[in-house]
Amino acid sequence: MTLLEEPLKEPFSVRNYINGEWLEPTGQLAEITNPATCKTIGRVPISTSEDVEEAVEAAKNAYPEWRRTPPLARARCLFRLKELMEQHFEELSRIQTMEHGKTIDESRGETRRGIENVEVATGIPSLMMGQNLEDVASGIDEYLIRQPLGVFGIICPYNFPFMVPLWFAPYAVATGNCIVIKPSSEDPISQTKVAELVEEAGIPPGVWNIVNGGRDVVSSMLDSPDITGICFVGSTPVAKNVIYRRCGETGKRVIAQAGAKNFIVVMPDAHREKTIGACMTSFYGNAGQRCLSGANLLLVGQGQSEGERDAFYKRFSDAFAAAASKIRVGYGLDESVQMGPLRDAEKKQRVLKFIEKGVEEGAKLTLDGRNIHLTGDWPQTCFLNPTVFEDVTPDMAIGREEIFGPVANIMTAPNLDKAIEMIHSSRFGNAASIFTSNGKWAREFQYRVMCGNIGINIGINAPMAFFPFSGMKESFFGTLHGQGQEVIRFFTESKVVIQRWF
Amino acid sequence: MQTAESTASAVISHMEKLEENSAKFYQQLSEKYTQGKKMFLQFAQECRRNKLQVTRTYQETITDALEAGFTFKRLDLNKHKVETTLPDEASYRQALETAIQLEARAGELYREAAEASESLLATIPMALRRIAQDRDQRRLKLQSMLGGK
Repeated sequence: MTLLEEPLKEPFSVRNYINGEWLEPTGQLAEITNPATCKTIGRVPISTSEDVEEAVEAAKNAYPEWRRTPPLARARCLFRLKELMEQHFEELSRIQTMEHGKTIDESRGETRRGIENVEVATGIPSLMMGQNLEDVASGIDEYLIRQPLGVFGIICPYNFPFMVPLWFAPYAVATGNCIVIKPSSEDPISQTKVAELVEEAGIPPGVWNIVNGGRDVVSSMLDSPDITGICFVGSTPVAKNVIYRRCGETGKRVIAQAGAKNFIVVMPDAHREKTIGACMTSFYGNAGQRCLSGANLLLVGQGQSEGERDAFYKRFSDAFAAAASKIRVGYGLDESVQMGPLRDAEKKQRVLKFIEKGVEEGAKLTLDGRNIHLTGDWPQTCFLNPTVFEDVTPDMAIGREEIFGPVANIMTAPNLDKAIEMIHSSRFGNAASIFTSNGKWAREFQYRVMCGNIGINIGINAPMAFFPFSGMKESFFGTLHGQGQEVIRFFTESKVVIQRWF
Repeated sequence: MQTAESTASAVISHMEKLEENSAKFYQQLSEKYTQGKKMFLQFAQECRRNKLQVTRTYQETITDALEAGFTFKRLDLNKHKVETTLPDEASYRQALETAIQLEARAGELYREAAEASESLLATIPMALRRIAQDRDQRRLKLQSMLGGK
C-alpha cells in the first residue's frame, strides 16, 4: 500500500474571510478530524452573529461597485479563478480526501464538477442577456433586463465540501451579487483554499466572504434583512422546517436542496455486468453519503413467469452482493481503495442503528458491513464495509428513510407499474434510475416517475453544470434550482422596460 | 502492490510512471548510442508529452458520477510491469530489443485500459488508444532498425 502525499502537514487554522481580509479567530474553535486516520488536521472558528453581520455589511458595501463592474470584467475574474483551480487541482482534491474521507478518484471528480460550474459562469455575458421586441405597439419597444439583487447566503453540507458551494457562488458573483458562504464546520478547509484562490484571482474585497461556524451562523444569515436569498443543501427537516420556512417569513428567495431515497430499477434485460458496476458507484461511492446515491435496488420481473422472476432476482442479488463484498475500504489517499469512511463516528452510529433496525424489521442481511475489513491499518472508528439487505419493502425504515451510508436495500416488483408505484410511495423525489435495454420501458419511466433527476442506465444522475440540479417533493424546496440557466434567474430580477420616444 | 481490480487513479499513476521511466530510458539511450540519438530524443520528448496527455485527460474527464473506482475491473497492473532499465554493457542491438519490448508492453497496457474504460467519457479511451497507436508506430520503427526482425 502506497499513500499519496498528504498536502496538510500541520493542523490547518481555518479563518473567516471577510472584506478581503483573513481574520484570526477570537472565540470558540472546533477540531477538524481526518475520518480515516482520526487525526486532527485543523481547527475551525465557531463564529457568532456579529461575524455574520460584519460579513453581510462588507458584502452590502461591495455590491454597488461590483454590480457596476461590466459582466465581461466579472467573467475575467472567474477565468482567473478557474485557471488557479486547475493549477491547484491535485492539492484541492487531496484536501477533500483528508477532510471528508472520500477516495482520491471521488475527490478529483468533485474538484472537476466544481470547476465546471466556474467555467459555465464565465459565460455570463451571454447567460445574463435579456430579451427584446420592437414595435410591441406602433413606435413602442419593450425589453427585459436581468439585474442582480444584492447579497446572497450559501449554506453548505459536509458531503461535497468543495463542489456544492460552487453550484451557486460563481453564478451569484458573475451576475453581480455578493455572497457570504458558510462551509460545513466538519470539513471547511477546501472552501478556505477556494477563498485564497478567489483573493489571488483579484475578486474585490467584500464580494466573496466566508464565515465558518454552526447553527448561529445559519440563524443569523436567515434573520439578516440585508440578505436577499439563501442557497442551502442539507437534510429535509432543516430544509423544510428551518430554511424554507424562515426564508418565507423574511421574504427571501430560496433554493433548498434536501434529502433523498433514490430507487435504482433494474429490468430483466439490463446488461448485468455494467449495471452492477454502475450500482457499486451509486450505492457505495462517497460511502453512500450523497443525495444522488442509490438506496433501494428494485428488481423488476416484467414479462417473466414466476420462476423466471425468482431466478432473475436471485442471480442479480447474488452478483450485487458478491461485487459489494469485494469493495476495498480504507483511506482514500491509498489509490487502491474504492470506498472511504463515513465522515465521523456519529454518522457511523446512525447507519449502524439503521442496520439493526433492518434486521429487527425482518429484512434479510446478506452482506453485513459491520464486519469491518480495511485495506491498511486504520482505526475502525468511522469505517463500515458495504451492507446489503434483501426482502426489503418500502414501508420498512431502511426502505423509507434516508440512511446516508453504504447500505443497499434490495426490493422486488412484478412489473414496471408496480415499481413506479413503489417509487411514488416515497416522500422524496430527488433521483431515480432505470437499467434496461428496452427504449419503451425507459421512456415510460422517464415520463411517469416523479423525481427531479432521472437516469437511464446511469447510476448517479448528477446534472452537468449547464443543467439545473433538479429535485421534487421533499427533496427540494423552492422554485428555481441550482446550476445552469435556472440559477442565473434565481440570482437576478427580471426588469421589463417599455419605451416610446415622442 | 496493486490488486487485480484497479481504480482509475491507480491506473493513471501507473501510466504516468511508465511515461516518466520511458522518457528517462530513451534519454539514456540518446546519450549512449550516437546511431539513434535523434530518434531516441524524439521518443523521450513524446513520452513526456504522453504523460501530460494522460494526466490532463483524466483530470478533465473524471467526475463524481462516473464509475472511477470500479472502471478498470479486468486490468491487473501487476501484469503490466514494464522493464525500462538497460545494463551498462548493453550493445546497441540489445538496446533496440529492450526498446521494442517496452513499446510492445506499453501498447498492450494502453489498449487494455482503453477497452476497460469504454464506460467513461469518450475522451479517456480515445486518448489511451492514440497513445497505444503511437507506441505501435515506434515499435515498428525500432524493428525496422533491427533489420525487420
